[in-house]
Amino acid sequence: MSSPDAPTVIAPARRLTIARAIAEAIGQEMERDATVLVMGEDIAKLGGVFGTTTGLLDKFGPERVRDTPISETAFIGAATGLAAAGMRPIVELMFVDFFGVCMDAIYNLAAKQCYFSGGQVTCPMVLMTSVGGGYGDAGQHSQTLYATFGHLPGLKVVIPSNAHDAKGLMLAAIRDPNPVVFMYHKALQGMGWLGTVQRSITDVPDADYLVPLDKAKVVREGKDLTLVGLGLSVHQALDAAERLSGEGVSAEVIDLVSIAPLDRQAVRASVRKTGRLLAIDDDYLSYGVGAEILASVCEAGIALRSAPQRIAFPDIPVPFTPVMEHFVLPNADKIVAAVRHMMEPSAND
Amino acid sequence: MTDVTIPTGLWNEGDEAAISAWLYSNGDSVAENAVLAEIMVEKSSFELLSPAAGRLTILVAAEEAVRPGQLAARID
Repeated sequence: MSSPDAPTVIAPARRLTIARAIAEAIGQEMERDATVLVMGEDIAKLGGVFGTTTGLLDKFGPERVRDTPISETAFIGAATGLAAAGMRPIVELMFVDFFGVCMDAIYNLAAKQCYFSGGQVTCPMVLMTSVGGGYGDAGQHSQTLYATFGHLPGLKVVIPSNAHDAKGLMLAAIRDPNPVVFMYHKALQGMGWLGTVQRSITDVPDADYLVPLDKAKVVREGKDLTLVGLGLSVHQALDAAERLSGEGVSAEVIDLVSIAPLDRQAVRASVRKTGRLLAIDDDYLSYGVGAEILASVCEAGIALRSAPQRIAFPDIPVPFTPVMEHFVLPNADKIVAAVRHMMEPSAND
Repeated sequence: MTDVTIPTGLWNEGDEAAISAWLYSNGDSVAENAVLAEIMVEKSSFELLSPAAGRLTILVAAEEAVRPGQLAARID
């Protein structure tokens, strides 16, 4: 550091994983607002199996950081009631795959509270939940179910691709007067046993800031085609875009950030410029996010230079065997192959 | 030059520990007490803090096993 050829070191930025960014956001909001509390399985003493509540029990105690029994029906139902009564609960559904036993509270009660009361009773709860596979956890612990939640009116659904957005989205989600489903992808959590995408570990300001719950982001500019992803598939699209640039193809990459509301304008603006569209996500193909993205562009009558395409998980339960699972999961290779086909002059024949 | 070593006494000897992620890259400048990396032990996460400000040299790759007291990085 003191060697003569070393330039003056500017104050280094602080890096966080998505997991730590989520925990920091919740902690800061708990300090600011006494009505905020956290509940879920293993979120207190352990700090969450995916690290989303690390350190909160020590700071805020067991009244506001509550380990619950393994009954999503009970504690997510309780959170819905707490929210209707004026608290701001954050509840963790450890795996989104477990939604079956608590969905009534989520989509019939929380999502409709504001509508059914003529706007007089809101439901400011955050349901945070892990999504995604790729690490051999089989068909009941590896789903993403974006479209399942995005389909239901009254729910906002967001998913960060990096730590900076994770903190700002969580702060915005807690302050939102209505229910927000905050998904986080296991492969981006910075937990070693699930693999870690280095690009998701970003500089994160200490201060309070908000990332809008309804805005997509252009994370790489390009002119030949638009790749649309969310969560993990943003990174797969960025990896593919980098490789494609070596082949002379300039790909624009959009991070949806939010599934509901969906920022259709951002997608349309990009495709108007590029004329080609490939949507990538790791939810089941049929009736999925990709279908909605393609429909949004087609409905707008945007002139296309090749038929719009999507890559998603096939309509089968997630296989346990790693060889089979990775065969069907989206990845950068599949994106590159699809783009090469779309760029062929005969692609639209 | 300051050594960055894996902390001792935080988990049971014999539990398998591994660097789950480096939050900085080789050659990055880091602040004193910055969290340099996370260490996973039996699904619990521990922090590896920087003992000094300076330039980071990583000596153990992410996802490699580590033991308490082991040299993991240097700060110059």
